[in-house]
Amino acid sequence: MVTDEFDWRACLEQVRQRDEDAAAVLVERLYPLVIRIVRSHLPRRVAEEDLAQDVFVKMFARLDQYQERAGTPFEHWVARLAVRTCLDALKAADRRPELRWGDLSEEQAAWLDFMLADQSATPNSSAASAREVIEQLLSQLPPDDRLVISLIDLEEKTVREVSEMTGWSGTLVKVRAFRARRKLRKLAQALSSQDRYAQL
Amino acid sequence: MHNFEKQWQTVAGHARQAPGRDEIAPFGFARRAVAAGWQPPALAPEVLWVRLMLRVLAGAVGVLIVCAALELPHLRDARPLEPGLENTVAQIVWAL
Repeated sequence: MVTDEFDWRACLEQVRQRDEDAAAVLVERLYPLVIRIVRSHLPRRVAEEDLAQDVFVKMFARLDQYQERAGTPFEHWVARLAVRTCLDALKAADRRPELRWGDLSEEQAAWLDFMLADQSATPNSSAASAREVIEQLLSQLPPDDRLVISLIDLEEKTVREVSEMTGWSGTLVKVRAFRARRKLRKLAQALSSQDRYAQL
Repeated sequence: MHNFEKQWQTVAGHARQAPGRDEIAPFGFARRAVAAGWQPPALAPEVLWVRLMLRVLAGAVGVLIVCAALELPHLRDARPLEPGLENTVAQIVWAL
């Protein structure tokens, strides 16, 4: 976790003077933040380490563009850069793999059934399988929709935070989230009906 | 839709509790990222071709100027067309 005790200003100053050790410390300090974003928005067939490295390469290339202002800590600037890089990678990936009922494990299928059912008792499945089924469903959405749902529903970011990270207006964020959830419901229903056809 | 939204949020809540993976940079990652971040950007093939062509063009212009300079004293000669290409080339070779 990135803490506030770290002297970002001094470190950045050293990095600007091409101090390699300071640059390595900066990367290690930011790695947890970057890798969390990358893992949430990683296109298939892209290694998370490669995408994380792309984020840091962009960070060094654009370091002069960062201006310390009140309310814009360096970590936020990097987070925004990471989100943009992931979004570009998702858009470049273009084709989304088709998801079939048979791709889901029993635990994942139980969570999917729960989403569509009118029941309050949660299935006796692991949290990891809940995460996996959500990631599988999100992989079927267009990049912008996937991003907004990951940030709001999985990372619990506020609309304002998402707006700052993406550059989208608050209204656009809300509308995208609403439409994305509607698409998720249709996807879940389509998957579930696949199951019924398979059983006939 | 409201029901799906409620159920979705429940599943998302469980998903958030899933154990996180390792968040420490792998050995050597930081140095690799710094090296990649600080290396000069690779030139596109088009840019390389343009640079090469410009150098060739500059060289050709230089040769033309030398030829013109060598021809200049003979401009008012009675036989302006006499020197011809062979002589110019021979003069350049001699000058070198």
